[in-house]
Amino acid sequence: MRVPVKWLAEFLNLPVRDADELEQILVSLGHEVEGIEHFGPSFEGVVVGLVEEVVPHPNANRIRFCRVNDGSATHDVVCGAWNFGPGAVIAYARVGSRLGIDTDHPTTIGAREIRGVTSHGMIASARELGLGDDHDGIMVLDELGAADLDDVGRPLEEVLNLSDVVLDVSITPNRGDCMSIRGLARELAAYWQIPVKEVSPRLATSAGPTDFDVSIVDPEACPRFVAHRIDGVTMGPSPLWMQTRLLSIGQRPISNVVDVSNYVMWELGQPIHTFDAEKIADRHIIVRRAGEGETLRTLDGATRVLESGDILVTDPSGPIALAGIMGGASTEVSAETTSVLVEAANWEPASILFTSQRLGLRSEASGRFERGVDPDLPGLAAARTVELISLTAGGVPRAEAVDNYPVPARPRQVAVGSGDLSRLLGSEPSFKESLELLRRLGFGIDGENGEATVTVPTYRSDVARPADLAEEVARLHGFDRFPDLIRYGKYGMLTAAQLATRRLEAVLVGAGLTEAQTLSFIGQADLDTLRLPRDDPRRKGIRVKNPLREEEAILRTTLLPGLLAAVARNVARGNKEVRLFERGRVFHSVPDSEDPRIPHQPVHLGVAMVGGDTDAFSATGLLALLSRITGSELAVVQGRIPMLHPGRGGTVTDGANPVGIVGEIHPSLGRAYGLDGRVAVAEVALDTLISVPSAWHLNEVSPYPPLVFDLAFVVPESVPAGRLLGVVELAAGEDMDTLELFDEFRGGSIPDGHRSLAVRVTLRAMDRTLSDREAGPILRHIARAVEERVGGVLRGRA
Amino acid sequence: MDLHLVDRIVEEGILKIVSAADIETLDIVESETVGRRSQIIQARRRIGALPPESRKAAGQSINKGLRLLTESLAERRAALEIEVEDLLLDQDRIDLTLPYGRPSRGTHHLLTSTMNEVCDIFRSIGYQVAEGPELELAWYNFDALNTPPAHPSRFESDTMYVEAFAGEERSGPDELLLRTQTSPMQVRFMEKQAAPVYVVVPGRVFRTDTWDATHSPVFHQIEGLAVDSDIRFGDLKGTLAYFAREFFGPSAKTRFVPHFFPFTEPSAEMLVWFNGAWLEMLGCGMVDPNVFEAVGYDPSEVTGFAFGMGVERLAMVKHSIRDIRHFYENDLRVLEQFR
Repeated sequence: MRVPVKWLAEFLNLPVRDADELEQILVSLGHEVEGIEHFGPSFEGVVVGLVEEVVPHPNANRIRFCRVNDGSATHDVVCGAWNFGPGAVIAYARVGSRLGIDTDHPTTIGAREIRGVTSHGMIASARELGLGDDHDGIMVLDELGAADLDDVGRPLEEVLNLSDVVLDVSITPNRGDCMSIRGLARELAAYWQIPVKEVSPRLATSAGPTDFDVSIVDPEACPRFVAHRIDGVTMGPSPLWMQTRLLSIGQRPISNVVDVSNYVMWELGQPIHTFDAEKIADRHIIVRRAGEGETLRTLDGATRVLESGDILVTDPSGPIALAGIMGGASTEVSAETTSVLVEAANWEPASILFTSQRLGLRSEASGRFERGVDPDLPGLAAARTVELISLTAGGVPRAEAVDNYPVPARPRQVAVGSGDLSRLLGSEPSFKESLELLRRLGFGIDGENGEATVTVPTYRSDVARPADLAEEVARLHGFDRFPDLIRYGKYGMLTAAQLATRRLEAVLVGAGLTEAQTLSFIGQADLDTLRLPRDDPRRKGIRVKNPLREEEAILRTTLLPGLLAAVARNVARGNKEVRLFERGRVFHSVPDSEDPRIPHQPVHLGVAMVGGDTDAFSATGLLALLSRITGSELAVVQGRIPMLHPGRGGTVTDGANPVGIVGEIHPSLGRAYGLDGRVAVAEVALDTLISVPSAWHLNEVSPYPPLVFDLAFVVPESVPAGRLLGVVELAAGEDMDTLELFDEFRGGSIPDGHRSLAVRVTLRAMDRTLSDREAGPILRHIARAVEERVGGVLRGRA
Repeated sequence: MDLHLVDRIVEEGILKIVSAADIETLDIVESETVGRRSQIIQARRRIGALPPESRKAAGQSINKGLRLLTESLAERRAALEIEVEDLLLDQDRIDLTLPYGRPSRGTHHLLTSTMNEVCDIFRSIGYQVAEGPELELAWYNFDALNTPPAHPSRFESDTMYVEAFAGEERSGPDELLLRTQTSPMQVRFMEKQAAPVYVVVPGRVFRTDTWDATHSPVFHQIEGLAVDSDIRFGDLKGTLAYFAREFFGPSAKTRFVPHFFPFTEPSAEMLVWFNGAWLEMLGCGMVDPNVFEAVGYDPSEVTGFAFGMGVERLAMVKHSIRDIRHFYENDLRVLEQFR
């Protein structure tokens, strides 16, 4: 909310005018100041001038030739306006003055020749001075009551009191009462312990009461409706001082009646609506909820289709305003209006919020009603409005308003004990001091010895409990005055799974991978690109109801689209070797086992690598490393997976169940991402890696020397190396120390459809030195097992 | 025998040894100084000819001299051998400032390391670390956190909602959404564990925000919660001031100003003085009694404080990062600068 300091000063004797100091105080009270602006004229060098003489232009009919006194000299000025004569006090833009300095195209006034006569400067209109839209004539300052003869020669901005400092204050949602100058004045008054000036409208009137009926059908929607009539109004521009005020808060002046309603809203915080009283049928206002599908043409010209929750102001002929949000076109005040009905009402915040949000009609008024407006305010605000209308537009207000207030709000009472405050705030401030702080904030206090009843003013709907009072006490006392203490908990340890996760990430980083963070969203196209089978659960992603883009409409079921896109973006930007990993949640459309109300959302670990000597082994090697570090027993089962290279991919299992995939992506997938060469990926559920118990036990090592044998087997191509190693390991028995595959060979004497695989078997007993004689039977046993189990033939031994 | 003579022989010998320029010269010097015909050996032979009372002193002196000479020879020999080896090794010389290939270590993402750093600071004062689901019930994200049904943050313009399980219609507290804050885990944690509670919750959160330099639809927060029988506003201030000093450095100053959050009362915002400005760094406050009631804690028995901070914001302030998009573009040129 924009708060001009001069306006604030109308409500209290500001001990401080410096904007930075005011900012500090407001911030300490919980009102963030987002900016400080200097509001000022859009001109410089313009003075108040006196028109001494007006004569016809010698060479033109439509323009006149004037002599203007600027206080020190008299100048010849040509002017095209006819709304003044000799003796008029006007705004004189001297030679060298500048107009429109707040725009992109400021102009400097010079002496120029107009039809053979030199004009030294110009007489300015309101629009030329940035003081409104009026361009029908020049500003006649004495007629506007803005200046008189004594002011001639003085700078115009000084005479019009145009400069101000404006604080842009951000009001938190709980403080509807601070959405006004008076509301913030109250806060500052509490801080400085000085009084706030009262607003007491004086209505000089002899007219009767407002002759309207107001029926409230739904008092929950409308707790109060005040209608105040004023007759004999002359519509026109509002006075300059009010226009200036509105400009300083960023509101465009419109007309005297409309400007007054905006002014009162800013001053007191009560949004006001004005109807043309003659256009309301039967002088009867009925406030009710809308019927489904009912329509209303609002004063912006749009036809609004309403829903049953919307609140309407109607007359017997139908809706005339969308309550608290926007008036209707049919009863809008216009240039011909002479009788105005002022509405100051209270509306249910939630309904205003929903309706304004649905219709996209957030306004200054709706913003206030959403936060909650003091139900006690409409009477005062309506009186203030008609007072200002009669001042700016003439007219006679009715002696009384119609005030339909079915259940008058009673100030809330909160019982508070000293313990209620000290358990939140500590021993300072004392209970007595606390009550004094509350009193300064406008709360009524009854009692003081450890127990008190606090009466909450109706404008503080946010305060209902001792905790709320504690906040009031704390902020006026000053947050900075509370001590800084530290609280220690008892369990600063990470869980085993958290520790394992950190270790795992450190290993990945040590192995040369860089951690990525990709978005949690994917699109249908991503799933199609992965060539996932139709019945794959990863296709059944959970959809976002209100996605930002269709490409981000599904919650990711796999990390790979994000990682591959990140790898591809890097390659496109010239980063040749890219090795990324990500740890993140994926989302499956099945209930979570711990909390079945929400979907299962396991954490996955994904890897994508390209460049250098990357191939499928880069990924299987990493999995083996992680598996070893965490003690999990992941295995790779080679097989065809559509998104992977048919001969270089497979499933990762935890020994029993599939927990992920690993391999090189299918070249077609690479092409879809714009990636050449081999791209290795892996994705596993993190659980399988980190849920292994971290306790492990040392295997004793043998002090005896080993016997090393190299065995080469010819095996059919269909036998995976892993299978061969498994058979050898089992057959070697307990004296086998290590087993390693060190060579693969095809061709030469090896028959087609076969390959030679060479393994190095190290035998070593725990209790003695093994002799060659003992090794013989073991090796024969291995050879027989390989032959029987996988059809392999021992080709050589060393 | 003149013992001074022995000293002189040794002195002259050592001089010869240290001035031997190569191993061949040293071989000759060795035979000259300690060889069979060397003066010192000659002298030792003559000990027997000395009067008995002089023999012991002469023997000691000669043996000491002989030891000195032998040691000097060995030392000199080792030095000369290294010189010879170094000459050969010069052939093996390389330029150490030549590029040595890509460093093999990758990097942690700055968001991860920042979250770890913050969690570790709180672990140092006894806080547990917990993580919660990203897809949440409206109950945990809003209702249990004292957020009224009519609150703008619930609108689709702020919060992303998702379809429930096939065919299921949900509304109100049962609606499924992408959590907009890590605070729901406060509620889940208190549901499971009785007070006292000291926990921090790092994690990913979501808002319907379009991308710009400071907004992204996906970002990260760290939530903190302390609940005990006697926690006061000063505990909140001191704990968070400790965090700020640990994270931003010992000179970091903090300031607390009143603010508003539905789930805390009183509520505050912590500003940190960093690089010459007061920066809004986190929101915090004393846990609202309604939150305690929602999780089944008795608000007359316990008090507590809660806080929440944006991880991207922390990292951006600390490391002079001007655009939040750097965190999600995963450009190696950026990622590799993270440490």
